[in-house]
Amino acid sequence: MSTSTPYFDFRNALHKNRLVGLWRMMTDFRLAYGIATLALAVSALAKTSVYLLLRFFIDDVLTKGWRFGSATQTFLLIGLGFIGLALFEGGFAFLSGRLAAYTAEGITRRLRDFLFDHIQRLSFSYHSQTPTGDLIERVTSDVDALRRFFSEQAIGVGRIALLFFINWGAILYLNVKLGLLSVVVIPLMLIVSIWFFKRVTKAYEDYQAQEALLSTTLQENLTGVRVVKAFARQDYEKNKFEKDNWLKYLKGKILLLMQSLFWPLSDIALGAQMLFGYIFAAFMAINHEITLGDYLAYAGLVVWLIFPIRNLGRTIVQTSTGMVSYARLMDIARQTREPLTDGAYQPAGPARGELEFKDVSFIYSDGTHKVIQDISFHVQPGQSIALLGSTGSGKTSLVNLLPRFHDYTGGSILLDGVELKEYSRKYLREQIGIVQQEPFLFSRTIRENILYGVGRNVTDAEIEAAAKAAAVHEAILSFPDGYNTLVGEKGVTLSGGQKQRITIARAILKNPRILILDDSTSAIDMQTEAEIRAALDGLMENRTTFIIAHRIQSVMKANLILVLDKGVLIQKGNHEELLNQLGGMYRKVYDIQTKIDVELEREIALDAEE
Amino acid sequence: MSEHELIELEEEEYTSALTAPVFKRILGVIKPHWKWVVGFLITIGLTSAFDAYFTYLNKQMIDQGIALGDKAALIRIAWFYGAFILIQCVCIFSFIYLAGVLGERVQYDLRKLLFNHLQELSLSYYAQNAVGRLIARVTSDTGRVSDLVTWGIVDSTWAAMNIATSLIFMAIINWKLALIVSVIIPIMVFVATKFQKYILVEFRQSRRANSKITGAYNENIQGVRVVKALGREDINLLEFQELTTRMYRASYRAAWLSALFLPTVQIIGAIALGAIVWYGGVQIQVGMITIGGIQAFVSYLTFMMWPVQDLARVYAEMQHSIAAAERIFKLADTAPDIHNRANALPASTLTGKIEFEHVDFYYEERKPVLTDFTLTVNAGEMIALVGPTGGGKSTIVNLLCRFYEPKNGTIRINGRDYLDYTLESIHSKIGIVLQTPHLFSGTVRENIRYGRLNASDVEVEEAAQIAGAHNFITTLEKGYEQNVGEGGNLLSVGQKQLISLARAVLAKPELFIMDEATSSVDTLTEALIQKGMEALMQGRTSFVIAHRLSTIRKANRILVIADGQIAEQGTHAELLRLRGHYYQLYTQQFRHELEAQYGMFDGLTDTSDRANINADSILLRREKPSAEPAATD
Repeated sequence: MSTSTPYFDFRNALHKNRLVGLWRMMTDFRLAYGIATLALAVSALAKTSVYLLLRFFIDDVLTKGWRFGSATQTFLLIGLGFIGLALFEGGFAFLSGRLAAYTAEGITRRLRDFLFDHIQRLSFSYHSQTPTGDLIERVTSDVDALRRFFSEQAIGVGRIALLFFINWGAILYLNVKLGLLSVVVIPLMLIVSIWFFKRVTKAYEDYQAQEALLSTTLQENLTGVRVVKAFARQDYEKNKFEKDNWLKYLKGKILLLMQSLFWPLSDIALGAQMLFGYIFAAFMAINHEITLGDYLAYAGLVVWLIFPIRNLGRTIVQTSTGMVSYARLMDIARQTREPLTDGAYQPAGPARGELEFKDVSFIYSDGTHKVIQDISFHVQPGQSIALLGSTGSGKTSLVNLLPRFHDYTGGSILLDGVELKEYSRKYLREQIGIVQQEPFLFSRTIRENILYGVGRNVTDAEIEAAAKAAAVHEAILSFPDGYNTLVGEKGVTLSGGQKQRITIARAILKNPRILILDDSTSAIDMQTEAEIRAALDGLMENRTTFIIAHRIQSVMKANLILVLDKGVLIQKGNHEELLNQLGGMYRKVYDIQTKIDVELEREIALDAEE
Repeated sequence: MSEHELIELEEEEYTSALTAPVFKRILGVIKPHWKWVVGFLITIGLTSAFDAYFTYLNKQMIDQGIALGDKAALIRIAWFYGAFILIQCVCIFSFIYLAGVLGERVQYDLRKLLFNHLQELSLSYYAQNAVGRLIARVTSDTGRVSDLVTWGIVDSTWAAMNIATSLIFMAIINWKLALIVSVIIPIMVFVATKFQKYILVEFRQSRRANSKITGAYNENIQGVRVVKALGREDINLLEFQELTTRMYRASYRAAWLSALFLPTVQIIGAIALGAIVWYGGVQIQVGMITIGGIQAFVSYLTFMMWPVQDLARVYAEMQHSIAAAERIFKLADTAPDIHNRANALPASTLTGKIEFEHVDFYYEERKPVLTDFTLTVNAGEMIALVGPTGGGKSTIVNLLCRFYEPKNGTIRINGRDYLDYTLESIHSKIGIVLQTPHLFSGTVRENIRYGRLNASDVEVEEAAQIAGAHNFITTLEKGYEQNVGEGGNLLSVGQKQLISLARAVLAKPELFIMDEATSSVDTLTEALIQKGMEALMQGRTSFVIAHRLSTIRKANRILVIADGQIAEQGTHAELLRLRGHYYQLYTQQFRHELEAQYGMFDGLTDTSDRANINADSILLRREKPSAEPAATD
């Protein structure tokens, strides 16, 4: 129906009671869903009317000789009546189905949109704690379970209930005694089928688990084909697969036995109920308690009363999965977002890049572990600051404070003299460019990757200039599709160095005032490394730059070097100053490196003389 | 997950018409279980006939019971009715059970057939067919075929039988009215089939959109740090909304088409019903039809939509199932490239001289990988293969293991063309450790035992000790019984490497082949791996695709492989003196090591074992290999 993309905040649908929550989820669609239910009722009524018309046809037209014009005309009218009722029934059934689909698909669409947006706005700490697979599972299977809840299950329960009550009402209208006798077995049936489907669901899960196991065996065999062949383990593998395959067959058999027992057994119960009703009604008809028309109508109606009940148990059990999925999705919705635009201070232009850290500390919300402790230093605009330290020393956590990926828990950081927390995250992230240690590219074209997140119109010339500055232009042109080459699974595989340079091009295009370089070029050969270094040097000009470094060489030129250990700032100064601090960590590292340098030189010489 | 889905979607595009040979082969699948097929055919046929007969019995109750006021007749009919309900229930039980179990059985058979066949196929087949595709073949395609030969047959038999018996009973009641119905049924089936096809198309569209949505979620979650850093949330949402809108359109269309489908079929039925009431009313006047008869026609027509729907669905799905069957047969018909020659002998030993004589090899025609490659290796020699990615190092190893065979030239082991030996005898004497170690789900112990299936627990642990894996294994919570996870992913790369070393040790190979890992491993593990390797190479002929200086220097001979040929060979010292390829490579790597060594700053604060690190244990890092197809393991 509508093609616009309405946005709905599903945090409004949070509620302890899942049914209330689901009801809230239906905001904006309640009318449509209501009409869908109503249309369903009309459709069911039309179906019931078919049998009442049949009754009229038998009792009044055929028996009592009711006429509308000639006999043929009367019959024609009745015939048209049947067609008319079918149109009514079909038309409203369609309307109902369409509106239910509109509701289900509409809710699903905006649920997907919401989740996508919500997840990308959740905090860094949430993302580092939550495995991707788990999130994906929820946003796909659980969303689909909710879709089915609205499109099939909720409306399905409604359909069965409506069919039941309308037809039962009609039978009661025909004859109360008959009506009461026709439903004796139904409560029992309902209980048994719910009981049964709960068990079948379990057996089915069992069966599925075995199927998953079999897939794993298969996948491992196929991906490890070289190992299998190298150890000549084909027979062993065949046996292993055979075992899993056979077990799956057996589990399938159990599942099928349960199903093949349930349907006929329920058919016997329902068949007995129906036959009993038929006989009883037939005797009533013979005794003239009801008319022949009543009997015919009854015989038709009772089928629609009884048989849908068979499926009610299944539908109800499935509905409960919708409830579980609701809860699983709302676990995500419940998480707090990062407020991107909140901030008291809204500067008009770009930042200058002066930074002052005063006794800054940072503790993760979950623990007592101090990641950063009382760090103080001062940076002038355009200066470069190098951070040196072991893994876990707090280098990355420190720079993550700047774009407010995490907020510092103690002390104060001033950017251009204003407290960092006064700035909005959005503003800060616009001012800061980050080149990450492990470059992440998206599966789109190289051009789009360079443009990613630049947030303004950029000409091709600018893109190429950025790529040239990042020393990746030539490499891009060497691909068949140049800048339009797809990256990732379906496209080319880029080397680590190429990826990194593309992210550098991205940072160049963004032209930030503050730059953070997570400097790891270890996965890159020397030639490339030199090129990247040159690209980075160009990028660093006139920007306040933080370099997370792992080697002295890349630190030497920095205006200020911070040596960190376990979150504590243990040394601070420039290269010369730190070298002169004998016994200091910096000097120690430098010495070791020099020593190894000499050692290696000597070894080459020795080796060659052997 | 997404990859599998995409492959499935892609393959669903292919539909095939049913040809006689394919039809015969599909039937061949159920042939061994023909008794089951006969069983469910009979029971579903009976079930269906009973369904039609019950309506007829209802008519009899009216005409012979109620209309005549004959209570005795009524009771008699009721007994029949009851008895038939019971018999039908037995039939229902039987066909669900028979068809369902047969379906499972067919799936079991087909999967077994494919899996066993896949074990025989050569690496070249695996290089050409993505794993995801093969998995789809074994899982979803077999499911589809088994559905076709069981539920497909059940549904269409039930539907055809139901329509046929209903028509027969209608003709018994009144043949003229039955004629009207028989005109309407083909129209119903035609309309229903058209509908099903449209629905299927929309359904596929929505599945395609769905897999894109999953991909978008995946990427955005994995790259969330970049998204945040670049403040791209708003545009991402807009882009994503395009996807969800596409999905919405397709699935909404599929849903309302489905909602339109049954009413349409039903209305067509109602037109027939209207005609019957009109015409039947006239006939009743002249006593040609009874009231019970009219009632029966009403019932027959009201429930006619179910068999029609079933027929349409089976028909619409059938073409895709046939395509699946053809893919299965194609895989089953693929002959392995590498197989035992006639009169092949088991090789008694691989210890001895190994010769490559003028060997040519290519994976794809006109893209030679090795040309006129000649090499002689003496028993017990350790050969290090170095050189650029794509130069042919992995290919040499692949040929040596006889995963591939030379296109020209000969490989001799102990003076005899290795094609004269059986594959099994060669493979069982080779120990191989891959660059990316591959483990199987299960415990550490099971994974090591893979090297020699009848090894005792003590032997397994000895092997682990020799490989240097024992210590880390005992630190695991459950030791040797620790579960390694799918593909071993609960362990680190280094740990996996150690276990695969232990596995090779246990196998007591005569020829040892190792593709050194390029990925980073912590220093301690690194040292352990080195020790394990040394233990393995002791007294064995070994080939190592080497990345680490320490390994290279230990080799008896170093081969620099470039452009499919031996560019240089000799000992470390000899090659250094040459000042050629190797010298360049070595010095470059050495400088590189230095650089890498600066990374040693990490953890310096609290590690003492770093102190005894010297140039020997430095990793030589390089970019991941990608060019050689064989290297993708």
